[in-house]
Amino acid sequence: MSAAERAAPAPALVRLTFRDARIRTLAFAYVFAAYSYIQPVGYRHAYPTRSSRLAFAGSLGDNKGLRLFYGEPHDLLTVSGYTAWRVGGTLAIAAAAFGLLAALRALRTEEDTGRAEIVLAGVVGRRTWFGSAMAAVAAGVVVLWLGEFAGFVLGGLPAGGSAYLALATASVIPVCVGVGAVASQLAPTRRVALELGGAVVALLFLLRVIADTSTGLGWLRWATPLGWAEELRPFAGPQPLVLLLPISATVLLLAGADRIAARRDIGTGILPARDSAEPRLRLLSSPTAQALRSGSGVLAVWVGGVAAFAYILGAVSKSISPADVSARMQKEIAKLGTGAITTPTGYLAFVFVFFILAASLFACAQVGTARQEEAEQRLETLLALPVDRRRWLGGRLLLAAAAVAVVSLTSGLFAWAGAASGGARISLPRMLEAGANALPVALLFLGIAALAYAAAPRAGVGVAYLLVTVAFLWQLVGALLGAPGWLVDLTPFRHVGLVPTQSFRTDAAIAMLALGAVVALAAIEMFRRRDLVGS
Amino acid sequence: MAAIHAAGLTKRYGETVALDGLDLSVDEGEVYGYLGPNGAGKTTTIRLLLGLHRPTAGRAELFGIDAWGDPETAHRRVAYVAGEPFLWPSLTSAETLAFLARLHGGIDVPYRDRLVERFQLDTRKKVRALSKGNRQKVQLIAALATRADLLLLDEPTSGLDPLMEMAFRESVREAKDRGQTIFLSSHILSEVEALCDRVGILRSGKLVDEGTLEQLRHLRAQTVEVTFAGPTPELPPLPGVQTVHAGASTLRFEVSGSIGPLVAALAEHPVVTLTSREPSLEEIFLHHYDGSDGDVGG
Repeated sequence: MSAAERAAPAPALVRLTFRDARIRTLAFAYVFAAYSYIQPVGYRHAYPTRSSRLAFAGSLGDNKGLRLFYGEPHDLLTVSGYTAWRVGGTLAIAAAAFGLLAALRALRTEEDTGRAEIVLAGVVGRRTWFGSAMAAVAAGVVVLWLGEFAGFVLGGLPAGGSAYLALATASVIPVCVGVGAVASQLAPTRRVALELGGAVVALLFLLRVIADTSTGLGWLRWATPLGWAEELRPFAGPQPLVLLLPISATVLLLAGADRIAARRDIGTGILPARDSAEPRLRLLSSPTAQALRSGSGVLAVWVGGVAAFAYILGAVSKSISPADVSARMQKEIAKLGTGAITTPTGYLAFVFVFFILAASLFACAQVGTARQEEAEQRLETLLALPVDRRRWLGGRLLLAAAAVAVVSLTSGLFAWAGAASGGARISLPRMLEAGANALPVALLFLGIAALAYAAAPRAGVGVAYLLVTVAFLWQLVGALLGAPGWLVDLTPFRHVGLVPTQSFRTDAAIAMLALGAVVALAAIEMFRRRDLVGS
Repeated sequence: MAAIHAAGLTKRYGETVALDGLDLSVDEGEVYGYLGPNGAGKTTTIRLLLGLHRPTAGRAELFGIDAWGDPETAHRRVAYVAGEPFLWPSLTSAETLAFLARLHGGIDVPYRDRLVERFQLDTRKKVRALSKGNRQKVQLIAALATRADLLLLDEPTSGLDPLMEMAFRESVREAKDRGQTIFLSSHILSEVEALCDRVGILRSGKLVDEGTLEQLRHLRAQTVEVTFAGPTPELPPLPGVQTVHAGASTLRFEVSGSIGPLVAALAEHPVVTLTSREPSLEEIFLHHYDGSDGDVGG
């Protein structure tokens, strides 16, 4: 008898679930480590002296636009304090997303695919199944914590404080796992569970943003796990007792989910599923039309999210006071890749770099849905019909390009509306230009993702996500780390004008669009020549 | 012109040889049964015929059109039913049928409605809420309603109940009567025996036997069972006759070729009953898979 046969079912289930999610877990851990490493190194490089740090703290401490991203700063004069501020807000959001997705994958996806039924038909009870799934997710949380911790330590922060700071970020994950676990019980399908859980996480984020940017509403921070992560105050008078909040919230949510899981029918949810409907025959004329039909919900969520976020950013852009910040100081900030952020336009130019990142990731996600069609073998059903392969992928890519354009222009339009409501005077065409500024980079990455997918169907999309992330981080730190110019120039993010502060770089845009088109055509041709590959 | 023509068709996935130099020809109007256990290369053959996978060597043609080089043109005359129904979970059956019909470029709508009735499909239900058998029905109806010249069916009845299996057989006979060509990959031997004009048996990526049922039967031994009044006698060795079972008063023989010499030898003994039957497709099939090249039952 081999070891696997002899093993108790629970550990075997934990291992399987952990293994199933390992690529996503490692990708997150990598990003956590890289981001955590970059912060202290970058700060030390850009603000080597106490006076430069004082000037930095003075100019940014009350900046609401930055607080929105990073949370409330407690100490901007030390490397560790700065790192805690920069990491606290942003990584906590990524941690929240990770927790939600990990729970849905371990619970709802298992039910949707029928795998849970197979497991539960064996000697494994529901409690064991649920507990094993959660234990596997918990192991993933430890991996993420280790990644972040390693990043800080390599970046030169003290080990004890680093462990605590990483713990503060990681404390968000179990709560969001709990949210995902409850959503998995309520929703009849993964999609509905994602919508439910996503809405809750978005709300938790919004609460934190309001708490950090509105005077007198700071107490709202206590209402969200993202706020608790801040209140743990790493490197700024730690309050470890706050950890009791995420711990008890997690216990409550998981106990609730476990109770529901023990009582309901497997494969269903508490909410009713709408399984019958009168036929709606629009958008069924071609695979591309059908892709638009089935993807319109996700697109609407993206557009809605980007619109809301851009509006908030626009609205707070005015709060940046063009105070007496020296020219040298502004240059130093620019080194961090943030541009001159002391004016509304400067601030928007800075935050729109993140929209370019978001649009590029969105482009990869579009190729991901195409891959899903192939992995789940529906593409075989399509291509057994008189459907041209090149046209199928080409249609998908054009649809993706259009969706990227919609998302990009939405960001510009709503940032303008927000800025106008906040009293900042920025012209609409200028902000639409800022939105459109994301297109060349995002479409280049769309082509690259398509090529990666055509060349390596299983790994391609993951590789594309990684390339986008690496290119973005490289643009932030390449120059700081003293890399030669040509090496830094490799990232497309480097060739983007910071609209609306700088002008749109037409030459670079044309070059990137042309390159993207060539790569996409190569992808289509390569796809024509390969076997279809299932999951 | 042949509906299907494959010459030296070979597919390797890394080290694995999934299909090894297949030569196959199916005429228009023929119902061809493609037999083989799991992993013999049946689905690989169909993927190559559809141009979904690229042949490592050799070529496949549908109505003279290269399957890999110009699949879209070939597919205008083809309808396909996959062994696993992979459809869009959020569409209802009616929407799925409409979508697939439009992609095929037109179908026989009244016939489709008849099929929906025959297969008792609830078209208002979303695909994600359908059982495997019901999803299989959606695929079958979509394919049959095209009235395509060639139906490529890959284990089409997996998941269907016996009533629906009958509905399927009825529909295949209708298609045959209209002159459509049917390529039926299966491991349900009774189905193939009931429907097919010609049968090919695939083993480890190679076609090991092919012919009409009559031809296949002729090549194989028939079974003769004899009951005697009293103990079984000793018979002299006879050419082409093998004793496979000896009871107290019964003997069973496998006979290849004529049973004349056996009957002559039995004439001297007190025979009570003598039954003879042709080998079933199952026996022919198992013969190719029992691991030896000897006679059935061995």
